[in-house]
Amino acid sequence: MNERSGTDRPLLAVENLQVQFRTDEGIVQAVDGISFTIAAGETLGIVGESGSGKSVTNLALMGLIPQPPGKVVAGQARFQGEDLLGMSPAALAKIRGNRIAMIFQDPMTSLNPFLTVAQQMTEVTELHLGFSRRQALDHAVAMLERVGIADAGRRIFGYPHEFSGGMRQRVMIAMALSCKPDLLIADEPTTALDVTIQAQILEMMQQLQREEGTAIIMITHDLGVVAKLCHRVNVMYAGRFVEKAPVERLFAQPRHPYTLGLLESLPRLDGQGSNRLTAISGSPPDLAQLPDGCAFRPRCPYAIERCASETPTLVDQENGNRAACLIDVTTSPRVAETKRP
Amino acid sequence: MILFLVKRLIWIGLTLWAVFTASFLLMSSVPGGPFQSERNMSPEVRLRWLERYDLDAPLHEQYTNQLTGLVTRFDLGLSMSLQDFTVNDVIAQGFPVSASLGIFALVFALALGLAAGMVSALWRQSIWDVALMSLATLGIALPNFVLASVLILLLVFKLPIFPSAGWGSLEQLVLPAICLGAPFAAYIARLTRTGLLEILSQDFIRTARAKGLPARRVVLRHALRGALLPVVSFLGPAIAGILTGSLVVERIFALPGLGSHFIEAATQRDYSLAMGMVLFYTALLTTMNLLVDLAYAWLDPRVKLD
Repeated sequence: MNERSGTDRPLLAVENLQVQFRTDEGIVQAVDGISFTIAAGETLGIVGESGSGKSVTNLALMGLIPQPPGKVVAGQARFQGEDLLGMSPAALAKIRGNRIAMIFQDPMTSLNPFLTVAQQMTEVTELHLGFSRRQALDHAVAMLERVGIADAGRRIFGYPHEFSGGMRQRVMIAMALSCKPDLLIADEPTTALDVTIQAQILEMMQQLQREEGTAIIMITHDLGVVAKLCHRVNVMYAGRFVEKAPVERLFAQPRHPYTLGLLESLPRLDGQGSNRLTAISGSPPDLAQLPDGCAFRPRCPYAIERCASETPTLVDQENGNRAACLIDVTTSPRVAETKRP
Repeated sequence: MILFLVKRLIWIGLTLWAVFTASFLLMSSVPGGPFQSERNMSPEVRLRWLERYDLDAPLHEQYTNQLTGLVTRFDLGLSMSLQDFTVNDVIAQGFPVSASLGIFALVFALALGLAAGMVSALWRQSIWDVALMSLATLGIALPNFVLASVLILLLVFKLPIFPSAGWGSLEQLVLPAICLGAPFAAYIARLTRTGLLEILSQDFIRTARAKGLPARRVVLRHALRGALLPVVSFLGPAIAGILTGSLVVERIFALPGLGSHFIEAATQRDYSLAMGMVLFYTALLTTMNLLVDLAYAWLDPRVKLD
């Protein structure tokens, strides 16, 4: 399915990452022991609802979790052999924006309204690549042209509020890619944009990835984005990965009830499945008060008694997916379905 | 920009006129007059006094006479309590004293307030934050004269570092400037802290950190500008207030500033001086607010002047 990963050493290998937040309701385990790898040039999707811990995971890797209240309590993240979580803030700052870059969800608020685009773009290359002001400016203009901003030589001296949302996200992407990072972490980069703009931005990211060979971690709740861009997908629920699969197989043969629920809530054009869209019942769990056993149990139509006492871990499924579920969704009946109104 | 300035200047003129009219009506409706307290004044003498100050004319004539004098010659008339002085003289003598003191106090307040506010915000909930913010609360709560007494006891009598009072040398300005500036420093510290914390929680600060910028650069280049906006809007009225002096501080340190005139002109029914002080303060205040708006546009590119 995915030839790129596995053979050589991964670009980034995250092992048992655990992040906690101290809140008024006690300690919240926002990320609970997740592991994943990503190879050079690959696109890995991390999918989940708001609050499932997908953003926290990546902020933790970058050392951007506000501490306190947040804290990385355990885990390793080997990036080209070095542990991101164990290195000094100064060493991590050298990697941030340089080897690993990040783009964020809301382009309206992610750019500094007080500084010109030129000021914000040039400071990255001046800092990490030692460019002179002139070099940095030329490079920034070239980057803006590559992300499709017309008249970049003039517009670069404008302020963010003079750009539209889609244009601002292009600026963010140009800025993030200006040091040719090995890894780009994109945290819901298209969520705040119009659908037509979304497609353009994704298209552009794909093209830049092909040209630069940048690996991308795509954090999203939008399965359409996943299908378009990702090679492999990790589905996250309540701070854990509940299913990992190559993208085609995740859509064709999901093995976790949550993944199944996500897919059934999407309209399909290929005629497979029923025509009725079903929502996943209930609401995302309160991380401060997770139920015993499987965190998805209260919303799961397949739940059996054992789910309340045993916490499932990721295990290999017969089709090659890895899923954290005690039952086999292909054969088990939907127990709870009849109870629902 | 030019249009903006012209518009604002017209507004300042209208404001001054409104304030003039309101003050005139208020003063003429309050019982008593400048020469009420003089006993045994013969009717002839009294009439001469009234003539001298144009108080014998009907009210509407007084109003138009004063207004034309003001508009055509910037003439605020003769002071009624400080005889032989015009109001312009009184202001010209007192304002430099109050303003020098005010500038000293302002520099002190800004330096201390900005530094304390930044330290508090950057090391939030540290011992420094708690200590500085407690001090700031104290600075706001403590009246001028208490602080002045304490400072005089400590730095004049216990440790004779500064002269106790008077006007003429720089040392004489230090203690009054501290007393006058302390509450402003406290306000500025609190505004800076809140402003900086607010900005530091914004998405674009996360972006700046994700770019790998050093913490110092994130704060100074990305956060400070926005954090200063609330301080700037506070500074407009604060400067107008601080430059026109303080009755209490100028009394305690025997400074010949403007501060005392605000109160005394009113209690002595010195119509012309009271009017002069009110208009002078209004002019200063509206000018400062105009400067604040200009500063806002300069600090925040999203602000358009029109």
